[in-house]
Amino acid sequence: MKKKKVLSLVMTLAVGASILAGCGSSSTADSSASSEATAAATSADDTASQNTTEAASDSATSSGDQKITIFQNKTEIYDQMVAMAKDYEAETGVAVDVWQISGDDYYQNLKTYLSSESGPTIFTVESDTEIAELKDYMSPLTDLSFIDKENDSLLAKNDDGTVIGIPTTAEGFGLVYNKDLYDPSKISSIDDLVSYIETEKDSGVEGVGLSQEAYFLIGHILNTPFALQDDPDAFCQKVYDGEVNIADVDEFQQLGKLFEAIRANETNPLEVTYDTNVGNFATGKTATIHQGNWCYSMFADYDVSFDMGIAALPIDGNDKIAVSRPAVWAVNSDATEEEQQLGKDFLNWLYTSETGTDYLMNKFGFVPVIEGMTADNLDPLSQTVSDAITSGNILPWTFNTSWPAGIVTTYLAPTTEEFFSNPDMTADDYLRALNDNFVQAASE
Amino acid sequence: MTTSIKKRLGVLWNILLIVFCCIWLYPVYIIVVNSFKSRSEMYENFLALPKHFTMEYYLGAFQKMNFFIAFKNSLIVTVISCIIILVLTSMTAWMFVRSGNRLSKFLFSVLIVTMLVPFQTIMMPLMQEMNSMQKATGIAFKDSLGGLIFMYIGFGAGMGVFLYDGFIRASVPASLEEAAYIDGASVWRVFWQVVFPILKPITVTVTILNVIWIWNDYLLPSLTLTSVENKTIPLAMALFFGQYNIQWNMSMAALTFAIIPVIIFYLSAQKYIVKGVAAGAVKG
Amino acid sequence: MKIKKGWYILFTAPLMIIFAIIELIPFVTGIGYSFVKWNGLGKSPKTFVGLQNYARIFSDKLFLSSLLRTTIFTLITVVIVNILALLFAIIVTSRLKTRNVARAMIFMPYLIGGLILGYIWNYVLGEGMSSLASLTGMDNLFFNWLVDKKFAFYALIVVTTWQLAGYMMIIYIAGFQAISDDVIEAAAVDGANGIQTLFYVKLPLIMPSITICLFMTLSNCFKMYDVNVSLTGGGPNNATQLVAMNIFNEIFTKSNFGYGQAKAVILFFIIAVITLLQVRLTKSKEVTL
Repeated sequence: MKKKKVLSLVMTLAVGASILAGCGSSSTADSSASSEATAAATSADDTASQNTTEAASDSATSSGDQKITIFQNKTEIYDQMVAMAKDYEAETGVAVDVWQISGDDYYQNLKTYLSSESGPTIFTVESDTEIAELKDYMSPLTDLSFIDKENDSLLAKNDDGTVIGIPTTAEGFGLVYNKDLYDPSKISSIDDLVSYIETEKDSGVEGVGLSQEAYFLIGHILNTPFALQDDPDAFCQKVYDGEVNIADVDEFQQLGKLFEAIRANETNPLEVTYDTNVGNFATGKTATIHQGNWCYSMFADYDVSFDMGIAALPIDGNDKIAVSRPAVWAVNSDATEEEQQLGKDFLNWLYTSETGTDYLMNKFGFVPVIEGMTADNLDPLSQTVSDAITSGNILPWTFNTSWPAGIVTTYLAPTTEEFFSNPDMTADDYLRALNDNFVQAASE
Repeated sequence: MTTSIKKRLGVLWNILLIVFCCIWLYPVYIIVVNSFKSRSEMYENFLALPKHFTMEYYLGAFQKMNFFIAFKNSLIVTVISCIIILVLTSMTAWMFVRSGNRLSKFLFSVLIVTMLVPFQTIMMPLMQEMNSMQKATGIAFKDSLGGLIFMYIGFGAGMGVFLYDGFIRASVPASLEEAAYIDGASVWRVFWQVVFPILKPITVTVTILNVIWIWNDYLLPSLTLTSVENKTIPLAMALFFGQYNIQWNMSMAALTFAIIPVIIFYLSAQKYIVKGVAAGAVKG
Repeated sequence: MKIKKGWYILFTAPLMIIFAIIELIPFVTGIGYSFVKWNGLGKSPKTFVGLQNYARIFSDKLFLSSLLRTTIFTLITVVIVNILALLFAIIVTSRLKTRNVARAMIFMPYLIGGLILGYIWNYVLGEGMSSLASLTGMDNLFFNWLVDKKFAFYALIVVTTWQLAGYMMIIYIAGFQAISDDVIEAAAVDGANGIQTLFYVKLPLIMPSITICLFMTLSNCFKMYDVNVSLTGGGPNNATQLVAMNIFNEIFTKSNFGYGQAKAVILFFIIAVITLLQVRLTKSKEVTL
């Protein structure tokens, strides 16, 4: 009998809890402003007054403490971002909440947050396709104090030319090479590279290593032949319209030749993960990998005993690496005027104050993208990128600016997987299949 | 003679079972051993035992994740969601079975059918709805544990009702309840004092399934919880998954840590699926 | 005994209201979106296109082939998972001393999901397979399954089975434990041996568990996304892309929200028809007290 009473008590409690839960116990919200507002709204049980509702629904309220939220795609620098947030609050009194999600889920989550009016104050946007999609959520940044020092080609702009995003950093990719094994000055064409692959194979070293992830398999490397065209944008348009087939263009045929050599001589890239790819390079089993300065942090655990750099992919004698901005900072135009201003104040601080630039250059390891800004402790790969920017000797990222949305993962990678798993597919077949991918994706 | 053969056969079966389980858990072994290795050691030999045991990655994961806060949040969300799901779904399922009318059958089918909706297709409309509800009522549905619990109740409804329904049909005779009604008990009392105790085995099962699901769920919390202080364990683990750099050792250490409570829970819960609870009741 | 309306509402309304808010309304809203062209962002324009999104589906070869593949995948996996789960449940409810340990060990894989799962299996199928090959010399069977279209599909089935079998086992265990000892004793008295008791007494009595497990594996497999993405990513050359991944890509990678929703609606109706048929079929075999 006693048991039953206890049981019914527990059940009553549970139902009570359900009602409580329904009332949204945001028990752990730290910012006193927002939790107070929530509590106020909750206690006004019937139709809450307009004001209170407004206050509760915005994460950063206009009254009381000032707070901004930042959501950015580079999970790797989360710890540093949090440290920076603390310093920023100490200096300015504005609290910064840093949101984080795994790198792969970033864009999907950002879209969902923005779409349900719960976006952060400041966020990052990666490709031009994404910028075009989110432009209605990106407020004009023309009044940032350092805006005229920005490199114009790296800014994100609205349809009418208003600046709505500023670059976070610059990244560059090409053949990341081991200076003991590979000498870029001796290899100036794809034919040289192919014969290099063949000779190295005899000594048990892989010449060029690719890995299975969509961008590392095809997205980045296919950029080079596009970027080498006189007018990449116009060229892409011709491909989409069916006026040109990439299989008939020399730069692409050279890439095809390289791919055939990789398929014939190297471990199947589909079997190589990014981690293995980097490990092979760090341990000297692979002379070059088609990667960018982002992979340097992966070497931290290895005893890397050689010097490295980034070399150009020598299609048509090319001597440039591909450099651009991986993302831009944007301020959420859905936020209140005041919050937007706080967001811009933060960006001003980040790019002009001593503490801010110290974080950017030394703690985040970002490559300087603003005139007059220099970094002394860049890692060797980022240094190569930085030097390339200074000299202007760079190729653009056409996959960001000119390719159809989502084409790398949904079309190009599958086609490339076919090439590497089917030895009967010739380079010509492969290039024609890629061309079909572009025509198809552009029509969607 | 025969008994000794039987005994030996028994031992053999036990050994076979354990060997099978070890093969079955080979991937889990890989997770555990790699939670002790550095990136370069992982690269050199992924499948072997670590050269030396270091708690470095466990401690690192602990710190980076704010493990105790995440653990507390996961615990709150899992426990409260589970209790409410149990209470509400058992009540609903029993009422559906006993009333047996068309409305019940219809609502039951609706509950079951929506279990088939892929979550990815409703997440955007759901979040928009939560936003308008928050605006209209002032209640924090977004970025609050309460709001997340509320959503789990909705998503757990189908499975709970379905499981209880099957069990009630098969193992709870209406005659027992009739007797209680004759004694003058109310519907409320009949359910909680007569029916619910008989449901114990299935209640334990529903609890286990819900605990596993909610404890491990990533997608729903990732959309609703944004502040650091609200993160659950799977969300906090997302920190190790960078764009270009995944800290496998730390994420495996975190995973090892995160699944231990569930295993302990399962081991202690399964003994409550005691044989004979239902049987004893059915006899009457 | 007839139950009064008030009690009916008290018992069912709280759950049904929450359920309607969380699942039903977003689902219906989602169906509404399948008639518009939209990129999924609140501020972007929604253009009403009628049935155009649905019409497009019929010429979407990738989607249709992923739908067919998912159906095959589901049929095979459902059978294997349930047979294994039943077998596990029988073994761990037997008198074996090691049963409790085995139970916990078998159900553990369900706790490992997401990216880690894919990463681990990548190595099991890569390095693990190659060491098996050098051990046995059977390198036509033991090679990296993920680079071969047919074997990558098998890998998907194997890993899904590994994940789900222990989970379903839990439900079967509950079913077996609910069987009254009297019934088993009565069968023994009638001279039934173990196998006969299993097939003629126990299995009919756990039909509700079978209904539930079949339903849950069916819907799980049709909606399979996690394992697909982390294990094969749909490759090589889309040979293992399942329909949920196809829909996800449409919605989030290509930003065709309306079209993706239309695909989801079609998928939903297909699963609904199949699973409801299954539930009706197995429910008719249940014994009611």
